[in-house]
Amino acid sequence: MAGTPAAAVEGSHAAARVHAPLPAGTATLGQLDPEGIGGVLSAVPRSVWLGLAVAMVGIVGAILLGALTTRLLVRLGVPDAVEGTAFDRTAREFDTSTVEVLGTLVRLFVLGVTFLSVLAVADIAVASGFWGRTVEFLPQAFFALVILIVGVVVGDKVQLVIGERLTGIKLPEAGIFPRLAKFTVFYVAVLIALSQLGVATLALVVLLAGYLFAVVFLGGLALSDLLKSAAAGSYLLLEQPYAIGDEVEIGGRRGVVQEVNLFVTHIEDDGEEFIVPNSTVFETGAIRVRE
Amino acid sequence: MLLFSPSTSQYRRFADADLDEDVIVVAPENAVNADTYVELPLEFDNVRDRIRFGIEGSLERGLVETEDEVACSVRVFDGDPDGVVRVRVTESMRSGIYDLFANSRAEPGVIRDVFEVAIELGKKGQKGKPVGALFVVGDAGKVMNKSRPLSYNPFEKSHVHVGDPIVNVMLKEFSRLDGAFVVSDSGKIASAYRYLEPAAKGVDIPKGLGARHMSGAAITRDTNATSIVLSESDGLVRAFKGGELILEIDPEGY
Repeated sequence: MAGTPAAAVEGSHAAARVHAPLPAGTATLGQLDPEGIGGVLSAVPRSVWLGLAVAMVGIVGAILLGALTTRLLVRLGVPDAVEGTAFDRTAREFDTSTVEVLGTLVRLFVLGVTFLSVLAVADIAVASGFWGRTVEFLPQAFFALVILIVGVVVGDKVQLVIGERLTGIKLPEAGIFPRLAKFTVFYVAVLIALSQLGVATLALVVLLAGYLFAVVFLGGLALSDLLKSAAAGSYLLLEQPYAIGDEVEIGGRRGVVQEVNLFVTHIEDDGEEFIVPNSTVFETGAIRVRE
Repeated sequence: MLLFSPSTSQYRRFADADLDEDVIVVAPENAVNADTYVELPLEFDNVRDRIRFGIEGSLERGLVETEDEVACSVRVFDGDPDGVVRVRVTESMRSGIYDLFANSRAEPGVIRDVFEVAIELGKKGQKGKPVGALFVVGDAGKVMNKSRPLSYNPFEKSHVHVGDPIVNVMLKEFSRLDGAFVVSDSGKIASAYRYLEPAAKGVDIPKGLGARHMSGAAITRDTNATSIVLSESDGLVRAFKGGELILEIDPEGY
Protein backbone atom coordinates (compact mmCIF):
# COMPACT_ATOMS: atom_id res chain seq x y z
CA MET A 1 0.00 0.00 0.00
CA ALA A 2 2.76 2.30 1.04
CA GLY A 3 4.50 1.51 -2.15
CA THR A 4 1.55 2.20 -4.29
CA PRO A 5 0.86 5.80 -3.30
CA ALA A 6 4.55 6.47 -3.55
CA ALA A 7 4.45 4.89 -6.89
CA ALA A 8 1.33 6.79 -7.63
CA VAL A 9 2.96 9.94 -6.44
CA GLU A 10 6.00 9.03 -8.40
CA GLY A 11 3.74 8.25 -11.30
CA SER A 12 1.85 11.46 -10.88
CA HIS A 13 5.15 13.24 -10.52
CA ALA A 14 6.31 11.60 -13.63
CA ALA A 15 3.06 12.42 -15.26
CA ALA A 16 3.33 15.91 -13.96
CA ARG A 17 6.90 16.10 -15.20
CA VAL A 18 5.87 14.74 -18.51
CA HIS A 19 2.94 17.05 -18.67
CA ALA A 20 4.65 20.02 -17.22
CA PRO A 21 6.61 21.10 -20.34
CA LEU A 22 3.55 21.08 -22.49
CA PRO A 23 1.52 23.75 -20.69
CA ALA A 24 4.71 25.69 -20.19
CA GLY A 25 5.39 25.47 -23.94
CA THR A 26 1.92 26.52 -24.86
CA ALA A 27 2.17 29.31 -22.38
CA THR A 28 5.32 30.78 -24.02
CA LEU A 29 3.86 30.27 -27.46
CA GLY A 30 0.72 31.96 -26.33
CA GLN A 31 2.78 34.80 -24.91
CA LEU A 32 4.64 35.31 -28.17
CA ASP A 33 1.62 35.04 -30.34
CA PRO A 34 -0.82 37.57 -29.04
CA GLU A 35 1.55 40.00 -27.42
CA GLY A 36 5.04 39.07 -28.86
CA ILE A 37 4.97 39.78 -32.64
CA GLY A 38 2.12 42.17 -32.30
CA GLY A 39 3.95 43.77 -29.47
CA VAL A 40 7.15 44.16 -31.44
CA LEU A 41 5.15 45.34 -34.43
CA SER A 42 3.24 47.83 -32.38
CA ALA A 43 6.29 48.75 -30.32
CA VAL A 44 8.17 49.86 -33.43
CA PRO A 45 6.18 52.60 -35.10
CA ARG A 46 4.75 51.85 -38.53
CA SER A 47 6.73 54.66 -40.06
CA VAL A 48 9.97 52.88 -39.16
CA TRP A 49 8.84 49.77 -41.02
CA LEU A 50 8.00 51.92 -43.98
CA GLY A 51 11.36 53.59 -43.66
CA LEU A 52 13.11 50.21 -43.62
CA ALA A 53 11.22 49.12 -46.71
CA VAL A 54 12.11 52.33 -48.48
CA ALA A 55 15.73 51.85 -47.47
CA MET A 56 15.76 48.29 -48.85
CA VAL A 57 14.14 49.38 -52.12
CA GLY A 58 16.53 52.32 -52.30
CA ILE A 59 19.64 50.18 -51.81
CA VAL A 60 18.50 47.61 -54.36
CA GLY A 61 17.52 50.41 -56.73
CA ALA A 62 20.89 52.09 -56.26
CA ILE A 63 22.80 48.90 -57.05
CA LEU A 64 20.59 48.12 -60.05
CA LEU A 65 20.65 51.66 -61.42
CA GLY A 66 24.40 51.93 -60.95
CA ALA A 67 24.97 48.67 -62.81
CA LEU A 68 22.47 49.73 -65.47
CA THR A 69 24.20 53.07 -65.98
CA THR A 70 27.57 51.40 -66.29
CA ARG A 71 26.30 48.86 -68.80
CA LEU A 72 24.39 51.48 -70.79
CA LEU A 73 27.48 53.66 -71.03
CA VAL A 74 29.58 50.69 -72.07
CA ARG A 75 26.97 49.80 -74.69
CA LEU A 76 27.07 53.34 -76.04
CA GLY A 77 30.81 52.96 -76.54
CA VAL A 78 31.68 55.58 -73.95
CA PRO A 79 34.83 53.77 -72.66
CA ASP A 80 36.35 53.81 -76.16
CA ALA A 81 35.27 57.38 -76.75
CA VAL A 82 36.84 58.72 -73.57
CA GLU A 83 39.97 56.59 -73.74
CA GLY A 84 43.12 58.64 -73.43
CA THR A 85 41.50 61.68 -71.85
CA ALA A 86 43.13 63.08 -68.74
CA PHE A 87 40.07 62.29 -66.62
CA ASP A 88 40.00 58.69 -67.72
CA ARG A 89 43.73 58.31 -67.13
CA THR A 90 43.39 59.75 -63.65
CA ALA A 91 40.47 57.42 -62.99
CA ARG A 92 42.59 54.51 -64.18
CA GLU A 93 45.34 55.44 -61.75
CA PHE A 94 42.82 54.85 -58.99
CA ASP A 95 41.95 51.50 -60.53
CA THR A 96 38.59 52.58 -61.83
CA SER A 97 37.31 54.18 -65.02
CA THR A 98 35.14 57.06 -66.13
CA VAL A 99 32.17 54.78 -66.57
CA GLU A 100 32.70 53.29 -63.12
CA VAL A 101 32.90 56.77 -61.61
CA LEU A 102 29.62 57.77 -63.25
CA GLY A 103 27.99 54.51 -62.12
CA THR A 104 29.17 55.11 -58.57
CA LEU A 105 27.83 58.67 -58.73
CA VAL A 106 24.40 57.42 -59.78
CA ARG A 107 24.53 54.87 -56.96
CA LEU A 108 25.46 57.52 -54.42
CA PHE A 109 22.73 59.81 -55.71
CA VAL A 110 20.06 57.14 -55.37
CA LEU A 111 21.40 56.24 -51.93
CA GLY A 112 21.27 59.89 -50.92
CA VAL A 113 17.71 60.24 -52.12
CA THR A 114 16.85 57.03 -50.28
CA PHE A 115 18.45 58.28 -47.11
CA LEU A 116 16.49 61.50 -47.22
CA SER A 117 13.22 59.80 -48.06
CA VAL A 118 13.81 57.37 -45.21
CA LEU A 119 14.24 60.35 -42.92
CA ALA A 120 11.06 61.87 -44.32
CA VAL A 121 9.03 58.67 -44.11
CA ALA A 122 10.28 57.78 -40.65
CA ASP A 123 9.27 61.24 -39.58
CA ILE A 124 12.59 61.94 -37.96
CA ALA A 125 12.54 65.64 -37.42
CA VAL A 126 16.25 66.20 -37.01
CA ALA A 127 16.61 69.84 -37.91
CA SER A 128 13.95 69.48 -40.57
CA GLY A 129 14.79 72.84 -42.05
CA PHE A 130 18.34 71.70 -42.82
CA TRP A 131 17.20 68.42 -44.39
CA GLY A 132 14.49 70.18 -46.34
CA ARG A 133 17.05 72.43 -47.95
CA THR A 134 19.32 69.46 -48.57
CA VAL A 135 16.50 67.65 -50.36
CA GLU A 136 16.15 70.57 -52.72
CA PHE A 137 19.87 70.91 -53.15
CA LEU A 138 20.81 67.27 -53.69
CA PRO A 139 19.55 66.79 -57.29
CA GLN A 140 21.09 70.11 -58.29
CA ALA A 141 24.43 69.18 -56.81
CA PHE A 142 24.24 65.79 -58.45
CA PHE A 143 23.53 67.22 -61.88
CA ALA A 144 26.16 69.90 -61.42
CA LEU A 145 28.71 67.19 -60.63
CA VAL A 146 27.67 65.05 -63.60
CA ILE A 147 27.81 68.09 -65.91
CA LEU A 148 31.28 68.92 -64.62
CA ILE A 149 32.56 65.40 -65.20
CA VAL A 150 30.98 65.22 -68.66
CA GLY A 151 32.41 68.67 -69.43
CA VAL A 152 35.91 67.66 -68.36
CA VAL A 153 35.79 64.42 -70.33
CA VAL A 154 34.32 66.06 -73.45
CA GLY A 155 36.84 68.91 -73.22
CA ASP A 156 39.73 66.45 -73.02
CA LYS A 157 38.32 64.47 -75.90
CA VAL A 158 37.89 67.60 -78.03
CA GLN A 159 41.51 68.50 -77.35
CA LEU A 160 42.66 65.01 -78.34
CA VAL A 161 40.59 64.92 -81.54
CA ILE A 162 41.64 68.37 -82.71
CA GLY A 163 45.23 67.60 -81.77
CA GLU A 164 45.13 64.44 -83.88
CA ARG A 165 43.70 66.36 -86.78
CA LEU A 166 46.49 68.91 -86.54
CA THR A 167 49.37 66.42 -86.28
CA GLY A 168 49.78 66.69 -90.05
CA ILE A 169 50.68 70.35 -89.59
CA LYS A 170 54.14 70.42 -88.09
CA LEU A 171 53.72 73.84 -86.54
CA PRO A 172 54.24 74.43 -82.83
CA GLU A 173 51.78 77.34 -82.84
CA ALA A 174 49.01 75.01 -83.98
CA GLY A 175 49.09 73.53 -80.48
CA ILE A 176 47.05 76.43 -79.17
CA PHE A 177 43.85 75.41 -80.96
CA PRO A 178 43.21 72.12 -79.16
CA ARG A 179 43.85 73.79 -75.80
CA LEU A 180 41.59 76.70 -76.66
CA ALA A 181 38.80 74.31 -77.59
CA LYS A 182 39.35 72.32 -74.40
CA PHE A 183 39.13 75.33 -72.12
CA THR A 184 36.07 76.62 -73.95
CA VAL A 185 34.29 73.37 -73.24
CA PHE A 186 35.49 73.44 -69.61
CA TYR A 187 34.27 76.99 -69.24
CA VAL A 188 30.82 76.21 -70.60
CA ALA A 189 30.59 73.11 -68.37
CA VAL A 190 31.54 75.10 -65.27
CA LEU A 191 29.04 77.76 -66.26
CA ILE A 192 26.20 75.26 -66.59
CA ALA A 193 27.19 73.56 -63.34
CA LEU A 194 27.29 76.87 -61.48
CA SER A 195 23.91 77.96 -62.83
CA GLN A 196 22.60 74.54 -61.84
CA LEU A 197 23.69 75.31 -58.29
CA GLY A 198 22.02 78.68 -58.45
CA VAL A 199 25.18 80.77 -58.30
CA ALA A 200 24.93 84.13 -60.02
CA THR A 201 26.66 83.57 -63.38
CA LEU A 202 25.54 86.59 -65.35
CA ALA A 203 29.02 88.09 -65.57
CA LEU A 204 30.46 84.78 -66.76
CA VAL A 205 27.69 84.43 -69.37
CA VAL A 206 28.45 87.93 -70.65
CA LEU A 207 32.13 86.98 -70.85
CA LEU A 208 31.23 83.82 -72.77
CA ALA A 209 29.00 85.75 -75.15
CA GLY A 210 31.79 88.21 -75.84
CA TYR A 211 34.26 85.40 -76.42
CA LEU A 212 31.91 83.49 -78.72
CA PHE A 213 31.09 86.64 -80.62
CA ALA A 214 34.77 87.28 -81.17
CA VAL A 215 35.38 83.71 -82.30
CA VAL A 216 32.40 83.65 -84.66
CA PHE A 217 32.85 87.15 -86.00
CA LEU A 218 36.61 87.09 -86.45
CA GLY A 219 36.55 83.48 -87.59
CA GLY A 220 33.88 84.30 -90.14
CA LEU A 221 35.88 87.27 -91.30
CA ALA A 222 39.03 85.19 -91.64
CA LEU A 223 37.33 82.23 -93.24
CA SER A 224 34.92 84.13 -95.48
CA ASP A 225 36.86 83.34 -98.64
CA LEU A 226 37.13 79.68 -97.74
CA LEU A 227 33.44 79.50 -96.86
CA LYS A 228 32.49 81.19 -100.12
CA SER A 229 34.63 78.76 -102.06
CA ALA A 230 33.21 75.81 -100.15
CA ALA A 231 29.65 76.91 -100.90
CA ALA A 232 30.48 77.29 -104.58
CA GLY A 233 32.46 74.04 -104.49
CA SER A 234 29.56 72.07 -103.10
CA TYR A 235 27.49 73.26 -106.05
CA LEU A 236 30.25 72.33 -108.48
CA LEU A 237 30.62 68.88 -106.96
CA LEU A 238 26.89 68.23 -106.90
CA GLU A 239 25.99 69.55 -110.31
CA GLN A 240 29.30 69.05 -112.11
CA PRO A 241 28.90 71.80 -114.71
CA TYR A 242 32.39 70.80 -115.76
CA ALA A 243 34.26 67.60 -115.02
CA ILE A 244 37.81 66.34 -115.17
CA GLY A 245 39.04 66.56 -118.74
CA ASP A 246 36.84 69.46 -119.88
CA GLU A 247 38.49 72.57 -121.25
CA VAL A 248 37.29 75.64 -119.39
CA GLU A 249 38.16 79.25 -118.81
CA ILE A 250 37.67 80.60 -115.31
CA GLY A 251 38.71 84.11 -114.38
CA GLY A 252 40.88 84.45 -117.46
CA ARG A 253 42.66 81.13 -116.87
CA ARG A 254 42.11 78.69 -119.63
CA GLY A 255 42.99 75.03 -119.58
CA VAL A 256 41.98 71.46 -118.94
CA VAL A 257 40.32 70.65 -115.64
CA GLN A 258 42.53 68.26 -113.69
CA GLU A 259 40.79 68.21 -110.37
CA VAL A 260 37.73 69.69 -108.69
CA ASN A 261 37.49 69.68 -104.93
CA LEU A 262 35.55 71.55 -102.30
CA PHE A 263 37.68 74.69 -102.28
CA VAL A 264 39.60 74.90 -105.53
CA THR A 265 39.64 73.80 -109.14
CA HIS A 266 42.92 72.78 -110.74
CA ILE A 267 43.20 73.93 -114.34
CA GLU A 268 46.23 72.93 -116.34
CA ASP A 269 47.48 74.50 -119.48
CA ASP A 270 50.77 73.50 -121.07
CA GLY A 271 52.54 72.52 -117.91
CA GLU A 272 51.09 75.42 -115.94
CA GLU A 273 48.61 74.40 -113.32
CA PHE A 274 46.31 77.14 -112.04
CA ILE A 275 44.67 76.58 -108.72
CA VAL A 276 41.52 78.69 -108.92
CA PRO A 277 39.33 79.20 -105.87
CA ASN A 278 35.82 77.99 -106.54
CA SER A 279 34.35 81.32 -105.51
CA THR A 280 35.84 82.76 -108.71
CA VAL A 281 33.55 80.48 -110.70
CA PHE A 282 30.56 82.29 -109.22
CA GLU A 283 32.08 85.73 -109.38
CA THR A 284 33.23 85.68 -112.97
CA GLY A 285 31.46 82.63 -114.31
CA ALA A 286 33.12 79.82 -116.20
CA ILE A 287 33.42 79.28 -119.91
CA ARG A 288 33.29 75.75 -121.18
CA VAL A 289 35.25 75.51 -124.38
CA ARG A 290 33.71 73.23 -126.94
CA GLU A 291 35.27 72.96 -130.35
CA MET B 1 72.51 52.10 -91.40
CA LEU B 2 69.02 51.57 -92.76
CA LEU B 3 66.26 50.82 -90.30
CA PHE B 4 63.19 49.28 -91.90
CA SER B 5 59.96 50.05 -90.06
CA PRO B 6 61.62 50.37 -86.64
CA SER B 7 59.67 50.67 -83.44
CA THR B 8 60.04 53.95 -81.58
CA SER B 9 62.24 52.45 -78.86
CA GLN B 10 64.50 50.79 -81.42
CA TYR B 11 64.88 54.04 -83.35
CA ARG B 12 65.59 55.98 -80.15
CA ARG B 13 68.34 53.51 -79.24
CA PHE B 14 70.06 54.07 -82.57
CA ALA B 15 69.47 57.80 -82.63
CA ASP B 16 70.79 58.33 -79.11
CA ALA B 17 73.81 56.06 -79.58
CA ASP B 18 75.62 58.80 -81.53
CA LEU B 19 76.88 56.49 -84.26
CA ASP B 20 79.41 57.58 -86.84
CA GLU B 21 77.12 56.28 -89.56
CA ASP B 22 73.91 57.96 -90.64
CA VAL B 23 70.68 56.37 -89.53
CA ILE B 24 68.02 56.27 -92.23
CA VAL B 25 64.50 55.17 -91.44
CA VAL B 26 62.61 53.39 -94.20
CA ALA B 27 58.94 52.89 -93.39
CA PRO B 28 55.47 53.38 -94.86
CA GLU B 29 55.08 56.41 -92.62
CA ASN B 30 57.37 58.40 -90.42
CA ALA B 31 55.91 57.19 -87.14
CA VAL B 32 59.14 57.72 -85.19
CA ASN B 33 59.70 61.30 -86.40
CA ALA B 34 63.10 60.50 -87.82
CA ASP B 35 65.19 63.24 -89.40
CA THR B 36 66.27 61.19 -92.40
CA TYR B 37 63.35 59.23 -93.63
CA VAL B 38 62.55 57.39 -96.86
CA GLU B 39 58.96 56.55 -97.54
CA LEU B 40 58.20 52.93 -98.35
CA PRO B 41 54.97 53.13 -100.34
CA LEU B 42 54.32 49.41 -100.33
CA GLU B 43 55.02 47.14 -97.40
CA PHE B 44 57.01 44.77 -99.56
CA ASP B 45 56.76 41.27 -98.16
CA ASN B 46 59.81 40.18 -100.05
CA VAL B 47 62.86 41.28 -98.06
CA ARG B 48 64.99 41.76 -101.18
CA ASP B 49 62.43 44.10 -102.73
CA ARG B 50 62.09 46.00 -99.51
CA ILE B 51 65.82 46.49 -99.14
CA ARG B 52 66.24 47.38 -102.78
CA PHE B 53 63.48 49.95 -102.55
CA GLY B 54 64.93 51.46 -99.40
CA ILE B 55 68.40 51.73 -100.89
CA GLU B 56 67.05 53.12 -104.14
CA GLY B 57 65.11 55.74 -102.26
CA SER B 58 68.20 56.67 -100.27
CA LEU B 59 70.18 56.86 -103.51
CA GLU B 60 67.65 59.17 -105.10
CA ARG B 61 67.62 61.38 -102.05
CA GLY B 62 71.41 61.46 -102.00
CA LEU B 63 71.58 59.84 -98.57
CA VAL B 64 73.86 57.06 -99.78
CA GLU B 65 76.16 56.78 -102.77
CA THR B 66 77.19 53.91 -104.98
CA GLU B 67 79.92 51.69 -103.54
CA ASP B 68 78.73 52.55 -100.04
CA GLU B 69 78.11 49.65 -97.73
CA VAL B 70 74.92 49.76 -95.77
CA ALA B 71 73.58 47.65 -92.95
CA CYS B 72 69.86 47.03 -93.13
CA SER B 73 67.87 46.07 -90.08
CA VAL B 74 64.80 44.35 -91.48
CA ARG B 75 61.92 42.19 -90.46
CA VAL B 76 62.11 38.78 -92.14
CA PHE B 77 59.46 37.03 -90.10
CA ASP B 78 56.45 38.58 -88.44
CA GLY B 79 56.97 40.92 -85.54
CA ASP B 80 59.92 43.18 -84.78
CA PRO B 81 62.93 43.59 -87.06
CA ASP B 82 64.93 40.41 -86.68
CA GLY B 83 67.64 40.45 -89.32
CA VAL B 84 70.59 42.57 -90.35
CA VAL B 85 71.77 42.43 -93.95
CA ARG B 86 74.96 44.00 -95.29
CA VAL B 87 74.50 45.34 -98.80
CA ARG B 88 76.89 47.03 -101.19
CA VAL B 89 75.11 49.79 -103.08
CA THR B 90 75.51 49.42 -106.82
CA GLU B 91 74.30 51.47 -109.75
CA SER B 92 72.13 48.56 -110.92
CA MET B 93 69.90 49.13 -107.95
CA ARG B 94 68.36 52.13 -109.66
CA SER B 95 65.37 50.43 -111.18
CA GLY B 96 62.99 53.35 -111.15
CA ILE B 97 60.60 51.92 -108.59
CA TYR B 98 61.28 54.69 -106.15
CA ASP B 99 60.98 57.21 -108.94
CA LEU B 100 57.63 55.69 -109.84
CA PHE B 101 56.22 56.47 -106.43
CA ALA B 102 58.04 59.57 -105.39
CA ASN B 103 58.21 61.51 -108.64
CA SER B 104 54.92 60.64 -110.26
CA ARG B 105 52.33 63.27 -110.84
CA ALA B 106 49.84 61.53 -108.64
CA GLU B 107 50.36 61.39 -104.91
CA PRO B 108 52.43 58.38 -103.73
CA GLY B 109 49.57 57.21 -101.54
CA VAL B 110 47.24 57.11 -104.53
CA ILE B 111 49.66 55.04 -106.56
CA ARG B 112 50.08 52.73 -103.60
CA ASP B 113 46.32 52.34 -103.21
CA VAL B 114 45.90 51.54 -106.89
CA PHE B 115 48.74 49.04 -106.63
CA GLU B 116 47.04 47.39 -103.72
CA VAL B 117 43.77 47.08 -105.63
CA ALA B 118 45.59 45.63 -108.64
CA ILE B 119 47.56 43.20 -106.48
CA GLU B 120 44.48 42.05 -104.63
CA LEU B 121 42.60 41.65 -107.88
CA GLY B 122 45.53 39.66 -109.27
CA LYS B 123 45.57 37.42 -106.22
CA LYS B 124 41.91 36.58 -106.07
CA GLY B 125 40.64 37.42 -109.51
CA GLN B 126 37.04 38.31 -110.08
CA LYS B 127 34.90 35.48 -108.69
CA GLY B 128 37.84 33.13 -108.91
CA LYS B 129 38.61 33.80 -112.55
CA PRO B 130 41.71 35.72 -113.53
CA VAL B 131 40.93 39.23 -114.72
CA GLY B 132 42.88 41.99 -116.32
CA ALA B 133 42.65 45.63 -115.41
CA LEU B 134 44.17 48.90 -116.50
CA PHE B 135 44.46 51.89 -114.22
CA VAL B 136 45.75 55.21 -115.51
CA VAL B 137 46.75 57.33 -112.52
CA GLY B 138 47.41 61.06 -112.57
CA ASP B 139 47.11 63.79 -115.18
CA ALA B 140 43.48 62.80 -115.52
CA GLY B 141 42.48 65.86 -117.54
CA LYS B 142 44.89 65.06 -120.33
CA VAL B 143 44.11 61.37 -120.20
CA MET B 144 40.41 62.10 -120.55
CA ASN B 145 41.14 64.22 -123.59
CA LYS B 146 43.13 61.41 -125.17
CA SER B 147 40.48 58.81 -124.63
CA ARG B 148 36.80 58.34 -125.17
CA PRO B 149 34.04 56.59 -123.32
CA LEU B 150 33.10 53.10 -124.39
CA SER B 151 29.81 53.37 -122.59
CA TYR B 152 28.07 55.24 -119.81
CA ASN B 153 30.58 56.16 -117.11
CA PRO B 154 29.54 54.46 -113.87
CA PHE B 155 31.57 56.95 -111.83
CA GLU B 156 29.93 60.04 -113.30
CA LYS B 157 28.82 62.53 -110.64
CA SER B 158 30.28 60.37 -107.94
CA HIS B 159 33.09 61.57 -105.75
CA VAL B 160 34.82 58.43 -104.70
CA HIS B 161 38.52 57.97 -104.07
CA VAL B 162 40.71 54.91 -104.30
CA GLY B 163 41.85 53.48 -101.00
CA ASP B 164 38.36 53.46 -99.53
CA PRO B 165 37.55 49.77 -98.86
CA ILE B 166 34.07 50.07 -100.39
CA VAL B 167 35.46 51.77 -103.46
CA ASN B 168 38.03 49.02 -103.84
CA VAL B 169 35.21 46.50 -103.95
CA MET B 170 33.48 48.65 -106.57
CA LEU B 171 36.67 48.79 -108.62
CA LYS B 172 36.92 45.03 -108.49
CA GLU B 173 33.34 44.65 -109.64
CA PHE B 174 33.84 47.08 -112.48
CA SER B 175 37.06 45.40 -113.53
CA ARG B 176 35.06 43.06 -115.71
CA LEU B 177 34.20 46.02 -117.89
CA ASP B 178 36.48 46.56 -120.81
CA GLY B 179 38.54 49.73 -120.94
CA ALA B 180 40.61 51.69 -118.47
CA PHE B 181 40.01 53.29 -115.10
CA VAL B 182 41.12 56.90 -114.99
CA VAL B 183 42.23 58.12 -111.56
CA SER B 184 43.08 61.75 -110.84
CA ASP B 185 46.17 63.06 -109.01
CA SER B 186 44.34 63.12 -105.70
CA GLY B 187 42.89 59.66 -106.15
CA LYS B 188 39.42 60.53 -107.38
CA ILE B 189 38.11 58.02 -109.87
CA ALA B 190 37.26 60.13 -112.89
CA SER B 191 35.96 57.41 -115.12
CA ALA B 192 35.75 53.73 -115.89
CA TYR B 193 35.07 52.18 -119.29
CA ARG B 194 37.54 54.46 -121.01
CA TYR B 195 39.04 53.62 -124.40
CA LEU B 196 42.54 55.09 -124.57
CA GLU B 197 43.59 56.62 -127.86
CA PRO B 198 47.25 57.53 -127.52
CA ALA B 199 49.68 57.54 -130.36
CA ALA B 200 51.20 54.11 -129.86
CA LYS B 201 53.82 54.49 -132.56
CA GLY B 202 57.27 53.54 -131.38
CA VAL B 203 56.24 52.44 -127.91
CA ASP B 204 58.58 49.66 -126.91
CA ILE B 205 57.20 47.13 -124.48
CA PRO B 206 58.34 43.55 -124.00
CA LYS B 207 57.08 41.08 -126.54
CA GLY B 208 54.17 38.96 -125.54
CA LEU B 209 52.18 41.70 -123.90
CA GLY B 210 48.83 42.52 -125.39
CA ALA B 211 46.72 45.50 -126.36
CA ARG B 212 45.96 46.45 -122.75
CA HIS B 213 49.62 46.84 -121.90
CA MET B 214 50.32 48.57 -125.18
CA SER B 215 47.68 51.26 -124.69
CA GLY B 216 48.61 51.54 -121.01
CA ALA B 217 52.25 52.12 -121.91
CA ALA B 218 51.47 54.48 -124.77
CA ILE B 219 49.22 56.78 -122.73
CA THR B 220 52.03 57.36 -120.25
CA ARG B 221 54.24 58.61 -123.05
CA ASP B 222 51.66 61.10 -124.26
CA THR B 223 50.76 62.32 -120.79
CA ASN B 224 52.38 62.51 -117.35
CA ALA B 225 50.26 59.68 -116.09
CA THR B 226 51.37 56.37 -114.62
CA SER B 227 49.74 53.16 -115.82
CA ILE B 228 49.25 50.18 -113.59
CA VAL B 229 48.24 47.12 -115.53
CA LEU B 230 47.12 43.74 -114.28
CA SER B 231 47.66 41.11 -116.92
CA GLU B 232 44.86 38.64 -117.45
CA SER B 233 47.14 36.02 -118.97
CA ASP B 234 50.09 35.85 -116.59
CA GLY B 235 48.60 37.60 -113.57
CA LEU B 236 51.50 40.01 -113.11
CA VAL B 237 51.08 43.66 -112.16
CA ARG B 238 53.17 46.02 -114.27
CA ALA B 239 53.68 49.73 -114.01
CA PHE B 240 54.48 51.99 -116.92
CA LYS B 241 55.76 55.52 -116.91
CA GLY B 242 57.00 57.64 -119.77
CA GLY B 243 56.12 54.79 -122.13
CA GLU B 244 58.47 52.37 -120.39
CA LEU B 245 58.00 49.36 -118.19
CA ILE B 246 59.20 50.38 -114.72
CA LEU B 247 58.06 47.67 -112.37
CA GLU B 248 56.84 44.13 -112.65
CA ILE B 249 55.58 42.32 -109.61
CA ASP B 250 53.88 39.05 -108.92
CA PRO B 251 50.75 39.51 -106.78
CA GLU B 252 51.35 36.12 -105.20
CA GLY B 253 54.51 37.50 -103.56
CA TYR B 254 52.62 40.04 -101.43
